[in-house]
Amino acid sequence: MTNMLIIVFAVSLIYLSVTERFRIYAGLVGFQGVLLFGISFLQLDRITLATVIFVATETLIFKVVVVPYLLFAVIRRTGVVRVHEKALPSFYSLLFVTVGLLLSIVVSFSMNTTPYNLMFFIVSFFAVYTGLFLIISHRKIFSHLVGFLVIENAVLLLSIAIGSDIPMLLNIGILLDIFVSVLILGIFVMRLRQHTEDLTILKDD
Amino acid sequence: MTGTLLCILSAVFFPGIILRVKSIASGRKGPGILQPWWNILLLCRKTGVISTTTSFIYRLAPAVYLATVIIAMLLMPFPGCRSLIGFEGDFILFAYLLALGRFLFILAALDTGSSFEGMGANREALYSMLTEPAFFILFGILALFSGQLSMQEIFTGSGLSSGVAAFTGIVAIYLLVQIAMIENSRMPVDDPKTHLELTMVHEVMILDYSGFDLALIQTATNLKFVLFGGLIANFIMPAASALIGPEAGTGMLFAANVMVFLLVQVVFASAAGIMESFRARKKMAKNPQFIVTLSTIALLAFIFILLFTLNLIR
Amino acid sequence: MAQYYIPAAVLLSFLILVVPSKARYGYTLLLNLFIAAFTSVPSVAQIAACIPGAAGIAVRLPDPFILSFSGILGELHFTIDPLSAFFILVTNFTVLTGLLYSRGYLAHYRDTKNPAQFALHYFSYTWLYLSMLAVLSLREGTAFLIAWELMAVSSFMLILFEAEKRATLKTAVNYLVQMHVGFLLILLALVITEAATGSMSFDALPAYFAAHRHTGLFFLFFAGFAIKAGFIPFHTWLPEAHPAAPSHVSGVMSGVMIKMGIYGIIRVLLAVKFDLFLTGWCILVFSAISGLLGVMLAITQHDLKKLLAYHSIENIGIIGMGIGLGAIGLGSDNPLLALLGFSGALLHVLNHSLFKSLLFYTAGSVYQACGTRDIDSLGGLIRKMPRTAGLFLTGAAAISGLPPLNGFISEFLIFLGFFKGLNGGSVYQSLTMLLAIVSLALIGGLAVFCFTKAFGVVFLGNPRRDFDHPVTEAGTSMLFPQYLVAGMIFLIGFMPLLFLHPLLNMVSAVFGLPEVPSVAAFTGIFKNISIFGIILVLLVAVILEVRRRLSVSRSPGYGPTWGCGSADLNAKQQYTGTSWAAGFIELGQPVLQNKKEFGGFSEEEIFPGRKYFSIHPNDIFTTLLGRLNSGAMALLKYLARLQTGNIRHYILYAFVFIILILALLYLKVL
Repeated sequence: MTNMLIIVFAVSLIYLSVTERFRIYAGLVGFQGVLLFGISFLQLDRITLATVIFVATETLIFKVVVVPYLLFAVIRRTGVVRVHEKALPSFYSLLFVTVGLLLSIVVSFSMNTTPYNLMFFIVSFFAVYTGLFLIISHRKIFSHLVGFLVIENAVLLLSIAIGSDIPMLLNIGILLDIFVSVLILGIFVMRLRQHTEDLTILKDD
Repeated sequence: MTGTLLCILSAVFFPGIILRVKSIASGRKGPGILQPWWNILLLCRKTGVISTTTSFIYRLAPAVYLATVIIAMLLMPFPGCRSLIGFEGDFILFAYLLALGRFLFILAALDTGSSFEGMGANREALYSMLTEPAFFILFGILALFSGQLSMQEIFTGSGLSSGVAAFTGIVAIYLLVQIAMIENSRMPVDDPKTHLELTMVHEVMILDYSGFDLALIQTATNLKFVLFGGLIANFIMPAASALIGPEAGTGMLFAANVMVFLLVQVVFASAAGIMESFRARKKMAKNPQFIVTLSTIALLAFIFILLFTLNLIR
Repeated sequence: MAQYYIPAAVLLSFLILVVPSKARYGYTLLLNLFIAAFTSVPSVAQIAACIPGAAGIAVRLPDPFILSFSGILGELHFTIDPLSAFFILVTNFTVLTGLLYSRGYLAHYRDTKNPAQFALHYFSYTWLYLSMLAVLSLREGTAFLIAWELMAVSSFMLILFEAEKRATLKTAVNYLVQMHVGFLLILLALVITEAATGSMSFDALPAYFAAHRHTGLFFLFFAGFAIKAGFIPFHTWLPEAHPAAPSHVSGVMSGVMIKMGIYGIIRVLLAVKFDLFLTGWCILVFSAISGLLGVMLAITQHDLKKLLAYHSIENIGIIGMGIGLGAIGLGSDNPLLALLGFSGALLHVLNHSLFKSLLFYTAGSVYQACGTRDIDSLGGLIRKMPRTAGLFLTGAAAISGLPPLNGFISEFLIFLGFFKGLNGGSVYQSLTMLLAIVSLALIGGLAVFCFTKAFGVVFLGNPRRDFDHPVTEAGTSMLFPQYLVAGMIFLIGFMPLLFLHPLLNMVSAVFGLPEVPSVAAFTGIFKNISIFGIILVLLVAVILEVRRRLSVSRSPGYGPTWGCGSADLNAKQQYTGTSWAAGFIELGQPVLQNKKEFGGFSEEEIFPGRKYFSIHPNDIFTTLLGRLNSGAMALLKYLARLQTGNIRHYILYAFVFIILILALLYLKVL
């Protein structure tokens, strides 16, 4: 079952690389949060119970509720309804993402991951690649933020995989979540000027 | 042989169900289930008008198109029947037979010397080219999973005994449904009801056809759709026979399989109708990207199944 | 007795130059037939010897047929083993059809060329044939290289038939230079072999590879042979040389001469025993890139013969994929993969020589009838040249790999090999196989895309331009060899077992594969494929008959094509080749780099004036090579300053050189 969720996570990454509307970005990030919640819940037997409950609740609260709410708030505030422009047409992003999938397989295969599930490694490397690619190939800062969120999801995924041995990694992953929520809340929602289509004009400018 | 006969049987009601479902979804009563076939018979009785620009290819293409679809139907597997004509790698022949029909069909569209038909033919060539990898990756997944290479054995080999088998089945059905919608020029790639020449793909290629030739083409289109429905049914039939249990006699099993086949065709036709009614058509320029997304998802599924069969993940 | 055939053929070929012009063609034809006859007999015997006769006799490599000469030229051994035999038979057929075609094709030039040029042309043609046969049967390094060089020189002479055009001259010189680069690489590889083993022969290679357990030398050979074969990025001579040459020469070059490169690669591969998986993988990747890029570049072309030349590159890619698969099979101890891969590759060698030569002959007929090779100026030729159109259609369907023709059979073999390799047990192998399957599927789809464009725009629809001379069908002498080739295409397509049975056995014997029981299993598969082909034809005939019966009572009406309500449609509004390719060019622009020239509209231009727009296909490798060339030329120009023309400077150089030598002697360096 965990494997199914991981595969759906990977499919959402593919969809994320080709889509063009901001709302879908926000929705997919929330959807990934739900998947991570499910995965962390299913990894019950490998990590201590307290850590699991902590991670699961945190994921649920931050990734599924807070971050998508903030993203949708930003979209509403700035009134961005148009399809945004990308530096690279979707077709090529898809090809790059496919190459990324193959690269992540080669990389994770050359590592020795015996006690852990290989799929975790493959998909988290894939997610890091996709997140970085999102940041590189887009122009708007909103998309850069979404790319960062994807990388963060990747870190959390990997830390869930090896969380039984390195519990501190899980805590670092969660800290990232809190950081990003503060970032979005602090900068975007509070300081952006409303109803401009642009996401880079601050309130006081 | 059973598979072929069942395909012909389901072709009788398949297009009618799609039309009926679309009509009901739009709030109308809709034509009768057999109406498409009455239309085809009517076309057979009419004389055609042939364009003076065309050549023998125009007259040859509908016949070859229909013939390739019928022969591809001969390869349709059915559980429990020893296939006399299946062989290792027959899905490659399946794919390339459809490609042959399409090749001549595209040439016939160019034969009329109309730029509209050229447009449609161009798009058809491009989209079918992009769909081929997805089809082959799908069969790569199935070959990897079942260890067999002939369609008959691929489907009988796979049982829904484990979660991964169910997952393979779901992925395969999803891919097949999407490939079927693209290959048969349905939403979201092409709208069969649009009559704006600049936006048509399949419909514009048959713009100039009339009479018996048009009847041949419409028969072939219906049969092609049924082919894909048959392939989908082949995934579900082992699950059904597993549900019934191994104690049932072969006659009971056979009857159950036949029921499941026809039921799946009905459900697929209704699903196609519903998808057509509620899905918007994609922008023409976005179609290649949509089709390649299918291949990427198929690749992802392949990697998972590969890792599973090599016991690298439990 | 057999000893005398070769010197006789060589001496008789010189007589071509002196025979009176009326008899020249007939004499050349007879001579070539004679050569074909005496080489085919031992070749067929070799291949037949591979087929196990009575039950229980294992398939083993038969003793090769050797003709030795020792005399003023030293020791010369012509060895025909089953691999050479196969290539010899392929060569014989295409060279003969080319010669048959050339009669009608060159008749067009009788008033513009003098008889000496014809004599030289036929002489070079016979020598191309002889040198190709020599390449296939010589193993000793020096002799092989001499034959290789003769092949390059004679094809150079053949390309130069229309040397009055400056572009042809430039292309031919480019071709010669690139062939010499390949020659250099092969020479280097053979010299390394000699330095290591003491013998400069292909027979010494097994000893070399046994001693040195890495395949670096193989890649050196591969690079040299790849230039001849036309793998990307060594292909830049191909798309220029093939349109420049007369059509029968293009057909022979594309059908047979580039296969000499493939022959060389397989010959060297036979000797490699270690690292085969990695080698096969590299060949596979290289070939997949060649195949994909070749067909992508072909789509953008608007010169018909250049389009066909790029398709040769694509098919060489497919052959290479088969070879790579075979090497992977040998390397991972999977004889089934090796069998499928190599048989698919070799069958594709035969198939490609057939359908590519057919396509070039039909393109030649079109060029002769219309005077232009530009796709976008042609159109509607199917009504004026129906037979040529039918033959082009056969070639197009065959090259796209459609059943029931021969291209499908070889692609099927390679596909089957890849699918069988999926269950390999290693992640990398399965992934490689899947990506190879995807590449091959894409190549097939792209080929369909390209050939529907080529056939559709050239032959179908309405003529896009009026020609001042009437367009007529090609003559019987040009059509006859095309019918022969088309007949072979249909034969292989409908009865593949006839060819596959000896071929599979030959591959098992040559590569030392154990008696694979599936050779018998393949009989079942291909019998079924033949049955399908026959049923298809019968079914089409039945449907057409029904159609005819129905229209007897109701004859169809005739009218113009539906113009969607517009009364003013003209032929120029039809889809052109470029518009057909545009959908794809958009997707592949980063690789294709099509050049578009358009001035654009300025802000103040309310009523646009006359504008100029053009699109050109672009091969990034040719551009790259051009840049390398200009860089080298700049450097050489810089060095050329040393040549001042003043004799006193030269004496100064000699003086400096003497001082240098004395200094080095004094320092005991020399």
